[in-house]
Amino acid sequence: MKLLQNKGKQLLTITLCVIPIFLSGCWDRSEVNDLALIVGMGLDRTDEGDIELSAQIVNPKAMGGQGSSENSQSGGQPVTVKTGTGKTIFDARSKLQEKVSRRLFEGHNRIVVIGKALAERGIRQHIDFFARFPNPRLRANVFFADGKASEILKIMPNFEQDSAEVARELAELRIGMKVTTKDLLQQLASESGATALPRILVDKSDSGEELRVNGTAVFKHNQLIGQIDDALTRGLLWVTDEIETASVTLQPKDAKDYISFKLLRSSTELIPTIKNGKWKMTITITSEDDVVENETKLDMMDPKIIDKLQKQLNKRIRKRIKMVLDDVQEGMEADVFGFADAFHRKYPKQWKKAEDKWDETFPEIEVAIKSDVKIRRPGRSGGPQGVPQDKEATE
Amino acid sequence: MIEKGKISGLQMAILLYPTIVATAELVLPAITGEVAKQDMWLSPIWASFFGYLSVLIAYRLHSYYPKETLLQYSETIAGKIPGKLIGCGILFFLLHTNGMNLRDFGEFVNGNFLEQTPLTVTIASMAFVCALAVRGGLEVMARSSQIFVPVFILLFMFIVVLLIPALNPGNIAPVLGEGLTPSIKGALVPTQWFNELFLISFLLPYLGENENGLKWGMITTTLIMITLVITNLLALLLFGDITSSFTYPIMDAARYISVADFLQHVEAVEMAIWVTGMFIKISVFYYAAVIGLAQLLNLSDYRPIVFPIGLLLISISMWAAPNLQKLTHFSSTTWPFYALLFQMIIPILLLLAVITRKKFSKTQLS
Amino acid sequence: MIWRNRRKKGKTGKQKALKPSKQEQDTLFKHITENEDQLRMIYQDCSDVIFHAFTIGGNHQALLLYIDGLSNTEEIDDSVLSPLMTATESDQEQQVDTLIKNKVAVTDTKEVHTFSDCVQAISAGKPVILADKSSTGLSLGLSKWEKRAVESPEAEKVVRGPREGFVETLSVNTSMLRRRIRSPKLKIQSIEVGRYTKTSVMITYVEGLADNTLIEEVTTRLNRIDIDGVLESGVIEEFIEDDPYSPFPQVLATERPDIVTSSLLEGRVTILVDGTPFSLVVPITLYSLLQSNEDYYRRFLMSTATRWLRYLFLVIALLLPSLYVALLTYHQEMIPTSLLISMAASREQVPFPALVEVLLMEVTFEALREAGVRLPKQVGSAVSIVGALVIGEAAVSAGIVSAPMVIVVAITGIASFTIPRYSTAFAIRMLRFPMILLAATLGLLGIMLGVITIIVHLATLRSFGVPYLSPMAPMHFYEMKDTMIRAPWWKLNKRPRLTGKYNKYRQSSGQKPDPIRGEE
Repeated sequence: MKLLQNKGKQLLTITLCVIPIFLSGCWDRSEVNDLALIVGMGLDRTDEGDIELSAQIVNPKAMGGQGSSENSQSGGQPVTVKTGTGKTIFDARSKLQEKVSRRLFEGHNRIVVIGKALAERGIRQHIDFFARFPNPRLRANVFFADGKASEILKIMPNFEQDSAEVARELAELRIGMKVTTKDLLQQLASESGATALPRILVDKSDSGEELRVNGTAVFKHNQLIGQIDDALTRGLLWVTDEIETASVTLQPKDAKDYISFKLLRSSTELIPTIKNGKWKMTITITSEDDVVENETKLDMMDPKIIDKLQKQLNKRIRKRIKMVLDDVQEGMEADVFGFADAFHRKYPKQWKKAEDKWDETFPEIEVAIKSDVKIRRPGRSGGPQGVPQDKEATE
Repeated sequence: MIEKGKISGLQMAILLYPTIVATAELVLPAITGEVAKQDMWLSPIWASFFGYLSVLIAYRLHSYYPKETLLQYSETIAGKIPGKLIGCGILFFLLHTNGMNLRDFGEFVNGNFLEQTPLTVTIASMAFVCALAVRGGLEVMARSSQIFVPVFILLFMFIVVLLIPALNPGNIAPVLGEGLTPSIKGALVPTQWFNELFLISFLLPYLGENENGLKWGMITTTLIMITLVITNLLALLLFGDITSSFTYPIMDAARYISVADFLQHVEAVEMAIWVTGMFIKISVFYYAAVIGLAQLLNLSDYRPIVFPIGLLLISISMWAAPNLQKLTHFSSTTWPFYALLFQMIIPILLLLAVITRKKFSKTQLS
Repeated sequence: MIWRNRRKKGKTGKQKALKPSKQEQDTLFKHITENEDQLRMIYQDCSDVIFHAFTIGGNHQALLLYIDGLSNTEEIDDSVLSPLMTATESDQEQQVDTLIKNKVAVTDTKEVHTFSDCVQAISAGKPVILADKSSTGLSLGLSKWEKRAVESPEAEKVVRGPREGFVETLSVNTSMLRRRIRSPKLKIQSIEVGRYTKTSVMITYVEGLADNTLIEEVTTRLNRIDIDGVLESGVIEEFIEDDPYSPFPQVLATERPDIVTSSLLEGRVTILVDGTPFSLVVPITLYSLLQSNEDYYRRFLMSTATRWLRYLFLVIALLLPSLYVALLTYHQEMIPTSLLISMAASREQVPFPALVEVLLMEVTFEALREAGVRLPKQVGSAVSIVGALVIGEAAVSAGIVSAPMVIVVAITGIASFTIPRYSTAFAIRMLRFPMILLAATLGLLGIMLGVITIIVHLATLRSFGVPYLSPMAPMHFYEMKDTMIRAPWWKLNKRPRLTGKYNKYRQSSGQKPDPIRGEE
C-alpha cells in the first residue's frame, strides 16, 4: 500500500499527467489580433425576407494606442461596417464571417439597432440570439432605426470613435428611453405585451451627418404599431420614472420672455386602484427644479412668483403626460407605461381574472395625474440680471 | 481510525457551507423561479427545514456512535450484510452525485468560458485538484477551505453590492400573490440540496473534543439559508419574471454589472466563486466516498484509493447524462427523490432502529 | 509496487562511518615523545600546525601545539610561555599538571585526555600544552582569528531599526543575542555537525517560552544530519525541513539579530551556524515570511497599510502575467472595451502569440535579475541600464513585444521585490511560470486551478508541526491581530500560539497610553 508514497515519484507522476494537457492544449485560445471586435450590430430585413446583419468592426490599427505612432497613418477609418444575409442572425453572421479575415467577436458589442423593415415583422424571435449565444452582452443598448439599421452604423461621428459609442452615450444621457437587451427581454415577457424602443435617426446637415436619439417606437404584441416624437417621449419618460436630465422652458403669464428650469430629480409612482370593478391609475410625480435662465424681469427670490411658477410647471407636466396618454393609451392602445405590472403587483387576484382581457381594459383605464414640482433654488442670481433694482417686476 | 486529523467546529461549518451553496447559488434561481415566480426567495426558507432535520438526525446518530461514520454504524445497527448493502448504496449515491457535481462544473465552464475545450479536460483537471486535497486528508481540506470560503463570501458580496444599483424592488410584489403553494413547490429541489448536509455524519467523528457539532451544524444551515435567500432575491430583483429563462441567472447577473464603464463584465468573479465553491463541494463528497469505501473494505489507509476513485468519478461524470438538458432534467425531477432515500430516509430508519433497540433493551433490563 | 523499495536503501546508507581515525589507543601517553610522534602523525603534511617544544622552568619537557593564524600568539607568549619558562625552583615540587595550571594566566582552560580531544581543541584554535610524565594536556582558550566587522545586513535593509547584522563568527553572534536578552533563560546549546568541518551549530531558545517538544524535535533533526561539511546554514535548512519538495521555505533565514530576538521571545527556536551570518528560525508560517521587522518599529497604521500592500503585490507577483495571458487569449470580453482596443492596437505589430511574448519577457527579466546579483557592483549598474533599455524601449519600438507587456513585466518585477524575504519571493517568482502555462491552456480556469493547487499545498505544509497557513487556517482570531493588521503594541498582549499554550501573556494588558495616565 505504499503506492505513490515516495514524494519524488509522486512529483514525476504528476508532471507526467499534466504534460499531455499542455501538449494537446489551447483549444479556446485566440489572440486579440485574430479577433474582429464588433462594437455595434444592426438587423435589417431584405426584400426576400432574409435577415441582413451589419456589424461595426473596430480597426485597431486606426484606433491607435501610443505605441503605434508610426503605423497610424496606414490606418484609415477606425471602424468598418460589413454586412451579411441569412435566414437567422447566426446564419447571417456566418455569411458575414466569410468576408472578414478575423474571427467575429461580439463580447464588446454595445448597441443593437433594429431596422424598420425587420421591426414591422416582429422582434421577439430575433432577440433570442443575444441572450443565448455566449458572447453578446445583456447590457447592450437596443435602438429602433426608422429606416435601415446599417445606415446608422455607417455614420462616422465627430467626437467618438464610432457611431455605436455615440448611440450608447446618448442613451446614457437619457435623451430618449434607455433599453438594454435585458430590459427588452423583460418587456417582451411582461404582462402588458407592449414594448418601447428608443428611435435613432441620422441628422443630415451642412456640417456632416450626425446621430440623434429622437422619439420612441412602440410595439404591441411584437408588432410595430407606431412611433412617437421627442416631446411625447419626454412625457413617456415622466410616467416610467426614467427622466433624468430635462429642461423645462415656460413663458410666465403676462410676460413675453421665457424662464428655463433644470430638473434636479424626480420620482414617479404608479398607484393603481380598483373600485367597484372600475380600474383607475393615479400617476404621482414629485420633482425638483432649479432656475437656470431668466429672461423676464421677475424676481426669482420672490416666494409668490415662485409659487405661481410652480403651478404653471405642474400644469405643463400634466399636459405633457396627458398628450402621451392620449396618443399611446387611447391611440395605440399599447401599455408601454407598465400599468399591467402595477395592477398585477397590487391586485394579484383581480389581475388573474382580468389578465386575458387586458387589451380591452387598458384603453378604458381612467388616469389621474398628480404633479408636485418644487423650485428649489434661483440659481446664482436672485433678481433678474441687467435690470435696475427699482425696475424689477413684482406682483 | 483511518483519519487521524481533527477539525474544529468552525472548520466543519466552513467545509459544509460551500458544499451546499456552490451549486445552489448558480442554478437555484432558475429552478425555484420556474415554479415559485416572484415568491422564489421564500423557497430556501422552507427548504432549510430539511437541512435542520438532516443535521439533527446525523447528530443523534453520532451521539450513539461518536467515533463512527455513517457507513460504520449502519453496519453496527443493521447487521453485517444489510449494513454493507446500505453502505454500498450510500457509496453509489455519493459517487453518482459527485459525478453529477463534476459534470455540472464542466458544463458550466464549457458553456460559458471554454467552448472548444473537451469536457473531459475540464472535468479531469478539477478532479485532479480535488484528489490532491483529499489525499492531504481532512485537515488539509479544512484548512484550504478556510482560505477559500472568506474569499468566496467576499466575492459574492462584491457581486451583490455592484448589482444593487440595477435592482428593481418592485419585482418582489405581489408577495404571496398566489398563496404559499408556489413557494413550497419551489422548495422541492432545494430540500435535497439542504439534505446534502447529511454529509455531516462523515465529519462529526473527526470533530475535536469540546466542539459542539450540533451548534455548528445549525449555524451552517442558517447561513446557507440566508445566502440562498439573498441569491434568489438578487436574481428576482434584477431579472424579475425572466429569471427562470436563463440557465445560470447569477452568471448573467454578473455579466450585467457595469460600474463607471470600467468595472464591467465581472463574470471572472462569478467563475472564481463557482470554481472555489465547486472545488470544496466535490472534495467533500469525494472525501466521504473515499473514506466510506476504505471503511467498507476495512482498509488501513485511504490514500491509495484516492486516485482510482478519481478516475471513476471522471467516468461517472461522463456517463451521468448525454447533455446539459438531460442533466438538469434528471437533477430537478428524479434526483430529489433518489437523494431523499439516501440522504434522509435511510438515516431516519437507522435512527429509529437504534432508538427502538435502546428502548427494547432498557425494558428488558428493568 | 516497484516504487516502494528505494527508501530503505537510503536508511542503510546512514551509518556513523568516519569516526575520528581509531588508533590503537586514543588516550594520551605518559611520555611526551610518544605523544609528539602520535600528533605529528595525525598532523602529517599540515604545515600550519606549530609544534613548539620548550621546558618548564628548565626542568620539565613540554610541548605547545596550535594552528598558525587561529590562535593569539601574543597572548601565548605573554601569559603562557613566559610564566612557564621562568618558573622558579620552588615551583618544581608541584606536580607538573598543577604547576601548569597555576602558572598559566588564561581564564578558559580545559583538561584534555585523549588525542581526539586534543585535535578538536587545536582545530578550534585553542593551543594545547602537553607536558612530559603527564597523560593530561591542557587546552587554552586563546583562539583568535581575523573576522569581519559587524556591518549592516546587506540583504535585509531597514529604514528604521538596528543596523547591525550577524557575522561569520559564532561567538560574536551569540554575544549579540546575549546583549539583547540578558535573562539567564536564554539558552544556547551547542552541537557539532559535519564529519570534516565539525561546524558548531547552536540551538538557541528562551526557556519557558519555547515548547520543550519543539526543542527536542530541533535537536533530533539536527543530530540526524550526517554529512561531510556544513557550508552554510542553507545546507542545514535542507536537512531539517518538513517537506523538502516544496518550493516554499519552511525555515526563516535571517542575518538580523533583532528578528532572531523577537522570534525567540515568541517562543521560536533559532539555529545559529558557525561560518555564516544567516541563522535559521523555526517554526514559521507563511505570514511571518511576509512580514518585515520594520512593521513593528513603524506606526501601526502605516504598518497595517504596508502589510496589505504587500499581500496585494504578492498576488500580483504570482498572477499578473498569467492573468494577462488568460484575459488576452481567452476572455477578451472581460477587458474594458477601450482598453482592449488600445491593447489590440499595440499588439498589431507583434509577431509572437501572447504566451510566447510573456515567457520571453519574464525569462529575460529573471536572467537580468540573476545577472544583476552576480555581477560586481561597478558592472551591475551598467547591466541594469542596458537591460532596462533592451527590454523597454528597444523591444517595443522594434515591434517585438507590445508596450502593455513591458508594463506587466515591470509591475510583476517590482511586486516580487516587495516581499521582504528573498526565499519567499523566489518561490513566488518560480511558481509564476507554471501559472502562465496553465493560463495559456485553460484560461482563467487554469489560473483558478493553479491557485487552488498552491493553496492545498500550503495547507499540507507544516513547519516543525505548525500549520503553514496559521493563523488563517486553522483560524485563530486573536492572532489575526498580527497578520491581517498590525495591531498597536499595547494590544498585542498574547504570544502567538505556536506549539505551546503556556505562558500566554507577554505583557500586562491595559497599557494603552492616554494623556490622563500621565497625571496619576
